[in-house]
Amino acid sequence: MDPMEVFKIEVTGEEEFGARKYREIIMDILQDLGLIRSIGRLYVYVDIAVPVFAVYGLLRSGIPPLTVKDVGDVMKVGGGHQIKINDEEHMADLLKALWKRYGRERVEQPARDVVIIASDTPPSDLMVTDMEAEFLQDLTDALVRVAPEGFRNRRNVMTKDSFFFIAAEESIKPELISEIEEKIREMENA
Amino acid sequence: MLEPVMFTGGLYKHDLVLELVEDLGGYILQKNVTQTEIILLLLVPSEDMNTLEILSRELRGELVRAPLAGTEVAVVTPTLAIHHLPHVACDIAEYLRRHGSKTNMIGMARGVGREIAQINEYETALINEHDAAVFIFGNFEDCIRKKEHLYRNISVPVIVTGGPKIDAGELPYAFGYVPSIGRMAHRTRKSTEIGSLDNIVEVMGRALDQTRAAIAKDPLTTSPPRVMDAVREQVPEVEFSYSPLPIALNLNGVRVKLPYGLYKDRIAAVTFDEGVKLGEVAAIKPSRMKDYILVRILPSSETGFVF
Repeated sequence: MDPMEVFKIEVTGEEEFGARKYREIIMDILQDLGLIRSIGRLYVYVDIAVPVFAVYGLLRSGIPPLTVKDVGDVMKVGGGHQIKINDEEHMADLLKALWKRYGRERVEQPARDVVIIASDTPPSDLMVTDMEAEFLQDLTDALVRVAPEGFRNRRNVMTKDSFFFIAAEESIKPELISEIEEKIREMENA
Repeated sequence: MLEPVMFTGGLYKHDLVLELVEDLGGYILQKNVTQTEIILLLLVPSEDMNTLEILSRELRGELVRAPLAGTEVAVVTPTLAIHHLPHVACDIAEYLRRHGSKTNMIGMARGVGREIAQINEYETALINEHDAAVFIFGNFEDCIRKKEHLYRNISVPVIVTGGPKIDAGELPYAFGYVPSIGRMAHRTRKSTEIGSLDNIVEVMGRALDQTRAAIAKDPLTTSPPRVMDAVREQVPEVEFSYSPLPIALNLNGVRVKLPYGLYKDRIAAVTFDEGVKLGEVAAIKPSRMKDYILVRILPSSETGFVF
């Protein structure tokens, strides 16, 4: 069963096999990059005669930015605050954010998973990294991987809750874009 | 007749196998040592197979027929990008290797797309240096038909693979078409996928048999394994070549992985027991692959004798 609410793929001509196979490829790639849970609906339209490859997707509700309290426990200690790191994955980003906020001389790391800040204000709500930006980067990477390789002219429009990606061999003209938008609207309403 | 076989076993006492094959008048094509394991590709006289089988059983080794041994196959993909690699191309190449062939992976410079796909003269010539080629295409039937011009000028048998089912007769320039193995983003691990790989090996075997039959009508002056042995003996520098297989066998010659300019005269001067020099019975040419030497043995109709 698909983890997405809607996943439609339409390929012109007698290419049922290609449609089925591309469904598998898209699922494999989205799973590899860990994006599948963040996409709610996905519409894929392929016209091999043009040829053009288009993907329109609706994203699930925005991902909140990662803060210091998400990656570790913050405690008040003598002379400042201590962060006990639970998730080392974002260590580099965390240190960078702390240095920027407090300055290097006030950030000390006595052990691998402990950071002490010489400050009275707790760093709990300091943003470590913008997960959404990272997600959008991964999503663009996934779309480029999914599209057939020869389709080197690409157009990608991303908004807060959706993305619309077109890849073609020839230059992408406004008429082509509106034609594809129309097709995808038909798929949505079907 | 020489039978191509693959011996897989422990490193311990494997030299007994090598000695036996040499004593029987066979040839050692390739020797791969992986830690304590060894894989040997051998050509053994078919009437003496039993002797080798007994020895291999004693050594707890495994002896299997390798129908593609002594051949070089090109695995061609539209490019070497993530869209085609690693899964399909590497799996096919590895599977052909397990059946004894030497495979080279070739990514075309501009092979992508439906309308814009191209192949150039150099790529065609490079693929023609092999004994056969596998062209890996995608999942859309229309594209597979449209990209026929990529292999139209290739003179060695071409096996095309792709996703949808297409009647091989509809692709007249291909030797065969193997379906169900188009673009995919996962490893070939299901039995149906492995079955498709088996189909490629089967079609490849047929294609190479056809080439062998064509060569048999006008036999080569001498056999490629014999040339390989003579070169290895008389040009010992070849053993110091960094290539994993310093002398690669083809059905109609060998490729010696030494610089052409420096070694072409020494290769031409290699002398056989009968007193014949290699330069007299073979064309020594520069290979399209790096700076290697390509030896193409002349047929008996050109030299007038076979030895």
